[in-house]
Amino acid sequence: MSVAESTFRREFPVKGGDFAKAGTAACEIKELLKDLGIDTTTVRRAAIVAYEAEMNVIMYAREARMDLTVSPKEIHLIIDDRGPGIPDVELALTEGYSTATAEMRELGFGAGMGLPNIKRNADVFAIDSEVGRGTRLEITIRTNGHGKP
Amino acid sequence: MNDKNFHAIHITKDKCIGCVHCMSACPTRAIRVGDGKARIIDQLCIDCAECLRVCPHEAVHSHTTSFASLDAFDYKVAIPSTVIYGQFGPTVVPNEILSALRRVGFDEVYDLSSICELNCAATEEYLNEHPRPRPYITATCPVVVRIIQRRYPSLCGQILPIEPPREIAAKILRTILPKALGIPAEKIGIIHITPCPAKIVSINSPATLAKSYLDGAISIRDIFPQILKALRKSDEDAMMRHLFPETLFSGIGMGWPLSGGETRGLKSHRAVAVSGIRDTMRVLDEVEGGLLQDIDLLECTVCPDGCVGGPLGVENRFLAKSRILELVAAAGEHAVVDQKDVSRLYHKNFLSFDHPVTPTEPRPLDHDPARAIDKAKLREELVAELPLKDCGVCGAPDCRTLADDIVRGYARLEDCPFVKTAPKEKR
Repeated sequence: MSVAESTFRREFPVKGGDFAKAGTAACEIKELLKDLGIDTTTVRRAAIVAYEAEMNVIMYAREARMDLTVSPKEIHLIIDDRGPGIPDVELALTEGYSTATAEMRELGFGAGMGLPNIKRNADVFAIDSEVGRGTRLEITIRTNGHGKP
Repeated sequence: MNDKNFHAIHITKDKCIGCVHCMSACPTRAIRVGDGKARIIDQLCIDCAECLRVCPHEAVHSHTTSFASLDAFDYKVAIPSTVIYGQFGPTVVPNEILSALRRVGFDEVYDLSSICELNCAATEEYLNEHPRPRPYITATCPVVVRIIQRRYPSLCGQILPIEPPREIAAKILRTILPKALGIPAEKIGIIHITPCPAKIVSINSPATLAKSYLDGAISIRDIFPQILKALRKSDEDAMMRHLFPETLFSGIGMGWPLSGGETRGLKSHRAVAVSGIRDTMRVLDEVEGGLLQDIDLLECTVCPDGCVGGPLGVENRFLAKSRILELVAAAGEHAVVDQKDVSRLYHKNFLSFDHPVTPTEPRPLDHDPARAIDKAKLREELVAELPLKDCGVCGAPDCRTLADDIVRGYARLEDCPFVKTAPKEKR
């Protein structure tokens, strides 16, 4: 069986501001990974990454596509959003830094955990952001036995 | 008995007419209808009893202990859930209810409110000593434990490892009574009285103990007529219980069966209470996604409004709740349990789980990762062919579940009345 054959791919659209559906894509991703027999620890890491990434889109961007690719060895997630972009990526990657509005904080979001938390749970993390255009995150999580414990 | 797939909820085939009420209501999609009858898939069922609540034909029943079966014991002890205090009118005080239970045939009856308070104090100590992980999740509701084992395996380690009051009470009695009474331990029957069908699951198939300290669980609904009869016959006894109350009730513990009641007594921790199966699942999804880490303790009970909304109660839950709140107010806020007792039992690990909660066997589409991926792809293709009307005619609760069943080999695409197949190859 070739590599391409044993790869699962699916796209999840996410709409900015759609708080009612917050977490839906992340949940679907999580269920899917369980169905694929991915180990519990890896599923948890992927769930945290997907949740944070989805929330970032809902809070800040206009829309995004979450593109999930799974092979037996790794989970690959690309989140490509159309939104304001991040002026200072390094600052956004600092724990505790947040630009969340009071309203978002009221809802329990915006503790400044988002991007750092995604990075912490990823084995490979890349971010590319352009102000006025959007942000693209590319994350790889290796399944157990292939990555971080 | 410690059968991992022991279930309290069963379908009586004779009464089942094969309608789809239970199937639609099931939050874990554990029910299928085939050959005119509903069937529960053991590995998916969490014993939440949503099906029991909605069945119009009383075809869903729960295995609880019968009073007659207690004859096997020389000495019968009842420890009723505090939900029982809310089942009778505003003039019936808890002491009367306990006394009536003695007349029904129990040799002794113990109130659980003080043990609920003890559990809360022990939980406080545990949270003080364990700053991580957050949030911890309470283990009182056996359905919550079961759903975590089955659907949220990564949260097993976040279940707060203190036994629920019913087990703590039974363990204390099991330790003390044989010596005090001079009766062999196995001849003493300790029975929980409860509005909950799932307690029998935690007794027969405990998730955190080698063996439950309880011998059975009788439903409030089953024993209610006998209690009522005993209450009616005893004006004098009622007066005695009013004038010489013999049990000291804990106001902190009395409110335990109301959502938020388990955590109300916490002094220095932030707690959130969730009730109802769907909301519980939504919040557990969030916790698994890394949210709610600023919460110390998450209380989840799958019945609406907490145990007071258990399906095997008698009084409607709103009246029961109102009555219990009156009793909470009457009992006041002061502690009845000595903190020294709590500390002593806690540090002896007397209140702890025997072993942590472990996840149940996962249920991937295939144990071979590459084949699981292929099946997931096929499932997506099938979903695209299905009408997504979720009508249930195929015998699965919704189209996605049918697609899932097909790739697992339990159903066929032809089961869908909307898909016109010259059965395709991909099937």
